[in-house]
Amino acid sequence: MKSTITTVIAAADNAARFPSASDLESVRGSMERAAARMEAAEKLAANYDSVAQEAVDAVYKVNPQGTLGRQPRVCDTEGKEKCKRDFVHYLRLINYALVTGGTGPLDELAINGAKEVYAALSIDPATYVYGLNTLRNRGCAPRDMSAQALAEYNAALDYVANSLG
Amino acid sequence: MGESVIQTALCPSGRASEVDPPPLHAPPPARAHFTPLLKSTFLMLDAFSRAATAADASGSFVGGSQLADLKAFVAAGNKRLDAVKAISTSASCIVTDSVAGMICENPGLTSPGGNCYSNRRMAACLRDGEIVLRYVAYALLAGDGSVLQDRCLNGLKETYAALGVPTGSMARAVAIMKACAVAHINGTNGDRGPQTTNNTITLGTTAKGDCSALTSEAASYFDAVSSSIS
Repeated sequence: MKSTITTVIAAADNAARFPSASDLESVRGSMERAAARMEAAEKLAANYDSVAQEAVDAVYKVNPQGTLGRQPRVCDTEGKEKCKRDFVHYLRLINYALVTGGTGPLDELAINGAKEVYAALSIDPATYVYGLNTLRNRGCAPRDMSAQALAEYNAALDYVANSLG
Repeated sequence: MGESVIQTALCPSGRASEVDPPPLHAPPPARAHFTPLLKSTFLMLDAFSRAATAADASGSFVGGSQLADLKAFVAAGNKRLDAVKAISTSASCIVTDSVAGMICENPGLTSPGGNCYSNRRMAACLRDGEIVLRYVAYALLAGDGSVLQDRCLNGLKETYAALGVPTGSMARAVAIMKACAVAHINGTNGDRGPQTTNNTITLGTTAKGDCSALTSEAASYFDAVSSSIS
């Protein structure tokens, strides 16, 4: 799984050189931002359930059928549960991305192939984009987490939304 | 010419051509099991991605104690970077000292018939020492031994066996390298007696910090090298 440090090391290894001053400098830069990322990851790990529920509620508010593009479900509880499960999945990967400081976990475990999977299941990814954008606009700096942490969290949400949309 | 040498080597009796051909309906010979190569980037982890990979295996979030560990890693981050810098900037000194030490203890290595006899072999020995130290530096930077294990040690023992490199000597050089690197990390590598040791660290008013966690981590990577080749 890629992270800032492994990317630096892979580049140094390709050139067969010891970590240079600029390598160490870029690792230091990523460590300086790490405190904010850790804070966001911690808050997300503690509250992911209600965050995902918020996204599901927002999706079902605009579209009572649930996921766009899908056949109407006979039992909409099931649809809601699956919708929430998917949001929890994205939030978990965002948690990993915040921990590693790169988009590697999101790319490897969610985004690569997402379009194909959603097309095959005839799910409109705009559903998830809508939910993620809701979360993006819900975060509030002093209430939920510090401003820097929120910036990192929002950047991760944006990345997923842009990749799916 | 080359072919006949190979045949003799494979079949000392020289009767290779007299072996009966396999019957037409014989099952095909068993193939060596083919393991697809994984992309090497996936096998390199650092402290952060190891936590994420471990959490992913159980589908859980990274939180609580794992995050506390990572916060401690970040808090001691500058110390770690200084340690990597100390090793990297003195790399050729550390490598040369350790190989020289290995040879001092066993002068037969550079005598005719020894494995460091001829400049070509000596150069190869120094180069290998530098490679090992480089991967230890990477592992120390990452806070995880996977890069060392995957890109350096994996198959090293077999390679040395095939090339006839005495792994005992190599392990000795690695042990000296460990002592050297630990001294460089602690800043106790002065060579002019106890009065001037630490002169690289205690310039000005900077106090000597506690690097015991980092030195033991670095030492564990050198130990991993020794145990994997011997």
